[in-house]
Amino acid sequence: MTNTRQAQPVLEAQGISKHYGGVVALDDVNLTLYEGEVLAVVGDNGAGKSTLIKALTGAIPRTSGVIRFDGQEVQIDSPSDAKAAGIETVYQDLALVNEISITKNVYLGREIVRSDWLGRVFGVLDFKKMDAEIRDLFAKLDVRIADIYRDAQAFSGGQRQAVALSKTVLFGKRIAILDEPTAALGVRESKMAMDLVRSLKDHGLSVIMITHNMEHVLNYCDRVMVLRLGRLVAERDVKDVDGDTLVGLITGATSAEVKA
Amino acid sequence: MSQVQNSSTSVSTPGNAASSFDLFKHSFMQIWQVVAALAIIYTFFFVMSPPFRSLDTLLSIFGQASILAILACGTTIVLISGGLDLSVGSIFAVVGVAVGIFLAEWGLSPVAAVGLGLLIGAGLGALNGAIQVVTKVPAFIVTLGGLTAYKGVAEILASGRDLSRFPDAFRFLGTGNVTPVIIMFGAAILTGLFLTKTRLGSRAFAIGGNEEVARLSGVPIAKSRIYYYMLGGLLAGLAAVIEVSKLNFAMPARGQSYELYAIAAVVIGGTSLFGGRGGVGKTLLGMLIMQTIIVGLSYMGIGTSYQRIAIGAIIIMAVYWDVWRRSAR
Repeated sequence: MTNTRQAQPVLEAQGISKHYGGVVALDDVNLTLYEGEVLAVVGDNGAGKSTLIKALTGAIPRTSGVIRFDGQEVQIDSPSDAKAAGIETVYQDLALVNEISITKNVYLGREIVRSDWLGRVFGVLDFKKMDAEIRDLFAKLDVRIADIYRDAQAFSGGQRQAVALSKTVLFGKRIAILDEPTAALGVRESKMAMDLVRSLKDHGLSVIMITHNMEHVLNYCDRVMVLRLGRLVAERDVKDVDGDTLVGLITGATSAEVKA
Repeated sequence: MSQVQNSSTSVSTPGNAASSFDLFKHSFMQIWQVVAALAIIYTFFFVMSPPFRSLDTLLSIFGQASILAILACGTTIVLISGGLDLSVGSIFAVVGVAVGIFLAEWGLSPVAAVGLGLLIGAGLGALNGAIQVVTKVPAFIVTLGGLTAYKGVAEILASGRDLSRFPDAFRFLGTGNVTPVIIMFGAAILTGLFLTKTRLGSRAFAIGGNEEVARLSGVPIAKSRIYYYMLGGLLAGLAAVIEVSKLNFAMPARGQSYELYAIAAVVIGGTSLFGGRGGVGKTLLGMLIMQTIIVGLSYMGIGTSYQRIAIGAIIIMAVYWDVWRRSAR
């Protein structure tokens, strides 16, 4: 956890910019994610955090910027491209559809169809297989969902977030990107969610996490990058910073050179 | 809805035998309310009107419901996906006239005529979807345009033509109350299987529930929507085929306001107008409620205009009940 710099970079994004007309939401931001680390992205409201991950995952078109995956340049122009590259994203408030079951939510967009002709011709779903895989997954991650057939709406914020995070283990081959995974959660549920985030790396995932919670940065993350007004203003190992310094960097009270 | 709390506190049960029962109970409760409403309404007319009490009446309720119910199966798919198709009544008219021409003028075999008619219905529905996806003009406007334009097409096609007296091999489809009702159940079962068992169908609930989540999950929204409208058009076409067969003539005035009756049945059955929730079984029940009221009021000597007022009131009550239930939760 301390020597992340010696690990291989799995994702390198260079010169990422996003302009909305004359408004610069994101200005030439570089991001490097190393194998097996949890990288926090912090910043005030409007600093460009969500814009950055949306630009990284193809949810919005970039104005400019290059993305390399394992050193190879990749084209990521849509959420599907990102998924194909092994990047799984959990968007704040946009993780689950309330009206459909947990099973259908987990597999939404990647449903498993039966291997017989019914599956091939009509796309008939293989619920048996999906249900079994979900139960295995939830057991492995200690996610407690009593009834996977029930609509997502019926579950607490913590359970919903746990389901969304589980999706990253099931489908994210390399990278999980999380947009404020604890934004809507209480204290106990936040801790559960963050323990789950931390365990993602045991499942081979490198994690980028947007957060407003400095305690989570200090206790659960390996590195932190600070955005302010669309620019990268600092990048630190978590062991080298404290909460006050981070808040200073976020608000601009503390000026800093970006470390390489 | 009241089981919400126990789900969030109970511990994971990997076996999940109890959960399947929960699911059953969950959906049963909702559909049970609609069944109860239908039973109450049927009983009311049963008590009020002696001639209503025959088996023939019951059959004729199903028979009268069948054509609109087939069309409403398509409306159910489109509404669940968060869409709206106001043009299906006019698609119905085009397909009816087209099938009439195929049979009466071109002398095509019934199978070919019906097949071509269904293709036209599916094509016009798909066109509605494609125009929305490409132009981003809202469904309401695009299909309002379709409502008028397709009606015009049907009138042009039919003008100066006598489209009647079709072969017996075609006429059996819509004759009597039995065949149309069997076709209605067939269409409803297939629609139900599509919505609950297939990838494309199950995605309709996700797109209608939260299109942005579905998009971010990698669901191809545009393509899926075009398919839903296509199926809506196909089922409107099938309904038209049955009606042309039943009436033994085709004319462009048929199908008028059918889209509104279909939407009414879907809403009375409890499918959300805003997408994401619903089912075709509910639509059938909604249609039966509507037809029971229409037939029952006729038996009591209450005229068409008053029946319309009653149906209008029922639509508002059904939605009000739904809103009230949600807020009371």
